[in-house]
Amino acid sequence: MQTSRGSTGCRMRASALPPWTRRLPSGNGGAKPRVEFTDDQIERYSRHIILPEVGGDGQRKLFAAKALIIGAGGLGSPAGLYLAAAGVGTIGIVDSDAVELSNLQRQVLHATSCLGRAKCLSAKDTMEALNPDVRVIPYHERLSSANALEIIAGYDVVLDGSDNFPTRYLVNDACVMARKPLCHAGILRFEGQLTTIVPGEGPCYRCLYPEPPPPGLVPSCQQAGILGVTAGVMGLLQATEAAKLILGIGEPLIGRLLLYSALDTSFRDVRVPRRPDCPVCGDSPTITKLIDYEEFCQVRWSSTDQVGGGCDCGSS
Amino acid sequence: MTAVQAEMVTVRVFGALRQAMGQTEVRLPCAGATVKDALVQLGQGCNGDVASYIFDKQGNLWRSLMLLVNDDPVSDALCQRTNPGDVITLLLPLAGG
Repeated sequence: MQTSRGSTGCRMRASALPPWTRRLPSGNGGAKPRVEFTDDQIERYSRHIILPEVGGDGQRKLFAAKALIIGAGGLGSPAGLYLAAAGVGTIGIVDSDAVELSNLQRQVLHATSCLGRAKCLSAKDTMEALNPDVRVIPYHERLSSANALEIIAGYDVVLDGSDNFPTRYLVNDACVMARKPLCHAGILRFEGQLTTIVPGEGPCYRCLYPEPPPPGLVPSCQQAGILGVTAGVMGLLQATEAAKLILGIGEPLIGRLLLYSALDTSFRDVRVPRRPDCPVCGDSPTITKLIDYEEFCQVRWSSTDQVGGGCDCGSS
Repeated sequence: MTAVQAEMVTVRVFGALRQAMGQTEVRLPCAGATVKDALVQLGQGCNGDVASYIFDKQGNLWRSLMLLVNDDPVSDALCQRTNPGDVITLLLPLAGG
């Protein structure tokens, strides 16, 4: 593929646009949004606008973009903060949890004064205070098979910051069915995994992990712990992937799984293929509508469990 | 490289398996064995919990486990023979967020 180097030395595609950019209404393939910057906006986003890979057009794409974050927890917090700071115009955030003291070691969207408050409302206030250009839409509900497709339909890109397997398979399946790009990250203790799922362009989460682990085999963050900054690293990588998809720059992590170890300070990525027999994104899908994900994962939530989040540890 | 080193296969683990094994990788003198035999040997050499992360009660690989040999996915090729110096990687999904 023909490439060129921009003035910053970054490798840029000079030939045909990457196919996945055509999937984003605000991407290179969509109609160019016509937004005039105010003087304050030119100053606020000057470090973006000066980047040849972003520029004024890229900043307009960010303004026009709609990103949905599932979970205002350890991953959703850093991702939400940076997408808001970047000027992503509309950010939806789904979480049914309330802020708890044990969240605050890593969930940087929430302050001590927000204890007991709905996380999605705390997140909205924090993000909109950081950047008044951004409109945050809170969903104070559990993402479910009943509402997922309807919620996701209004967004260009989805970031999965949930904390339980039923929600992760639900988000994957809904994004594949709705053909929405999904930035996936998972964390535990000192480790993180990251991949970018673009339906039709590479594997989905089920191609990587066809089935969830049996109940009890893989502990939750509540059971095994999480180094707070590990959540920060992975959430920011998710936000980076989302920003790249919106801007139509770089090489997204499609077909690759990034493994991060905080203890080793190591990043490795392994290639993962799409499975032709995948029941959701394969050549002959057998799952064509959303299913009962609690049953699929052999998990049952009690009426007091809150999810946005998750069954084991909230969005924790 | 000594003769013993030449027969070694490295098994590298992440996530919950790392916690279960208490280490990030082990070296097994099993080059030439199948991938499945190497994993059985891994389970036998560690405490009883480790095998349960890899195989179900019928001895089948969990479908929640991603298995790589030299970074190539081989979950559907457990009969593949290992070679000296191969690195088998075992990955479990992380649900935390």
